[in-house]
Amino acid sequence: MLSKRSLVGVRLNFHTLAVLFFLLIGTQAFAADPSVDNSDEAVAAGKALFNTNCKTCHRLDQKLVGPALRGATDRAPVELVKSFIKNSQAVIASGNAYYSDLYKEYNNTMMISHEFLSDEDLNNLLAYIEYGDTADPAAATATGDAEGGAVAAGGGIPNEYLTIILGVLVVVLLLILIVLGLIISVLTKYLAKQDLDEDDKEFVSQKTNLGKVFKSDMFVVIVTALVVALVAKTALDGLYSVGVQQGYAPEQPIAYSHALHAGTLEIECQYCHTGVELGKSANIPSANICMNCHTHVQNVQGAEGVSPEIQKIYDAVDNNQPIEWVRVHNLPDLAYFNHSQHVVVGEVECQTCHGPIQEMEVVGQHSALTMGWCIDCHRQTEITTEGNAYYDKLVQIHSDSKDALKVKDIGGLECAKCHY
Amino acid sequence: MKIAKTLSILGIAVAGITLAGCRAGGENQGLEYAPQMYHSVAYEPLTQIMDSETKGDLISTREDGKGEYFNSNINNPHNMNMREPVANTVPRNKQGYLPYRYKAFEIEEAGTSMKNPIELSDEVLTEGKRLYQLYCTPCHGTGGQGDGKVGAIIGGVANLTGGAYVGLSEGHIYHVITKGKGRMGAHGSQITPENRWKIVHYVKQELQGGQNADNATATTEVVAEADQDVSQVETPAN
Repeated sequence: MLSKRSLVGVRLNFHTLAVLFFLLIGTQAFAADPSVDNSDEAVAAGKALFNTNCKTCHRLDQKLVGPALRGATDRAPVELVKSFIKNSQAVIASGNAYYSDLYKEYNNTMMISHEFLSDEDLNNLLAYIEYGDTADPAAATATGDAEGGAVAAGGGIPNEYLTIILGVLVVVLLLILIVLGLIISVLTKYLAKQDLDEDDKEFVSQKTNLGKVFKSDMFVVIVTALVVALVAKTALDGLYSVGVQQGYAPEQPIAYSHALHAGTLEIECQYCHTGVELGKSANIPSANICMNCHTHVQNVQGAEGVSPEIQKIYDAVDNNQPIEWVRVHNLPDLAYFNHSQHVVVGEVECQTCHGPIQEMEVVGQHSALTMGWCIDCHRQTEITTEGNAYYDKLVQIHSDSKDALKVKDIGGLECAKCHY
Repeated sequence: MKIAKTLSILGIAVAGITLAGCRAGGENQGLEYAPQMYHSVAYEPLTQIMDSETKGDLISTREDGKGEYFNSNINNPHNMNMREPVANTVPRNKQGYLPYRYKAFEIEEAGTSMKNPIELSDEVLTEGKRLYQLYCTPCHGTGGQGDGKVGAIIGGVANLTGGAYVGLSEGHIYHVITKGKGRMGAHGSQITPENRWKIVHYVKQELQGGQNADNATATTEVVAEADQDVSQVETPAN
């Protein structure tokens, strides 16, 4: 009897300990104000409110733009927390020491007012803040990392496969060559032992004479033809490349990566190249546009300290010095090109001419930018005439032709369109 | 005969390789065929040849004796080709907009006294959406919920559909786009005033469901008439 009771006692004790342990883990080193509702409904309602209104600056257990929120009602009275959420500036102005210090600690970053939240909303919000899920941030970063990894891995696979396939092919061919050589030697040896007539013996024992092959007319002719063709091709290619800067990819004063900004982060080209819809040049962004983000983003991948490349932007801004980017696309002065015309009216994508910029670490000239290249596009590109009264007459005039209305039909091949 | 043959083949090979070297790539800009026709004599946007010494094969005809390709403006700071407007002059764009005059901190005044000069229409909303996606989605996300990819890095991006923001006036939104607020930088230099108002229409009507869209008109009937000239004012970065 006694032993039985004690057993129950032990089990009970263990149970309580476990509960206490989990409670301690869950609530960490503080206790929420007891008046905060911890029902599931309140927490769920609070979570929705939190995600719409708080998430961008706060996390429950992590410092972000603002402090980690869990335990807020432990650090200040519930009513004060509520009035702070509603109008933080008023609470700070009233001289509350805790909130004034907090405000200073976070570099006087103002929290916007949330006067629209009802008392019930606030209760639910606090319920979520104190009792909401703990595993959330970790899970979020984990999925984020996984996605990042998948994106990074996506680009390289086909090329690697190609190299592997080529390598395997070469190895297989070499093996076949060796095997054939072996077969020949074995057969020769076998035949040498047989009884053969003179002709056959001569045939079997003949050696491949390399010197003879080199001296044969056929060989000389083939090699000469090959060499001449190769040299002629290099020379012609060289001549055609005069004045063409395709492939020019100079090093820039700041190692800016389009692959990161336009590729991974999906910032649209026009965000920085603001002139592209307005005029001739697409514009290289001035440092203030960089600073829209880099005021806050001081290093890559959240690393500590200021990246030396980003520091160059800060130096340029501080000293009012222009950043001397190197121009990549240098169209000769004898040809006129207007970005807005092509991008707004022609609806040409940036990548059509500039190539896969979003994959380039260092930008290089993708297209040849020769006159033939321009003309080719003008010959092939059809014009979208629907819903544009400007083209009505042209469409009417063009209606006899079998071909669709193309840029060449509206003056796209006129010399003076580009050369004047 | 043989020597002559070898020499001629060698000559062609050398010529070929030399010509192949003209090809551009990496730091090499390649050979220019007619630099005098390639380089702009007039000042050219985004082009600034600072080298005043190099002269081409032909004799430079410049009166100032500088190299024939030099096209920087010696009268400007850093020899740049562009220049800020003369002090105390007031630029006006094609639509007659004057520079924005509210300072960054005058957010209350801007929010109550400005009225969207662009009439609301389907085209304006479509255009507003396009512009929003160009300039705002990196941080605010396609739905305006502050969940853009860049916003995730910067942090503290406003959820435009959140309760604290849906009631804001159009003038307030315009002011914040122009001058920035909190962690958001000023986007006045990137987006033209008309386009900013189109974005305001889109944000107000589509993302925020039209709530409090005409706040500014209700409070400032009187100012509204003079607005076209006075209140869509825009100062160069201060």
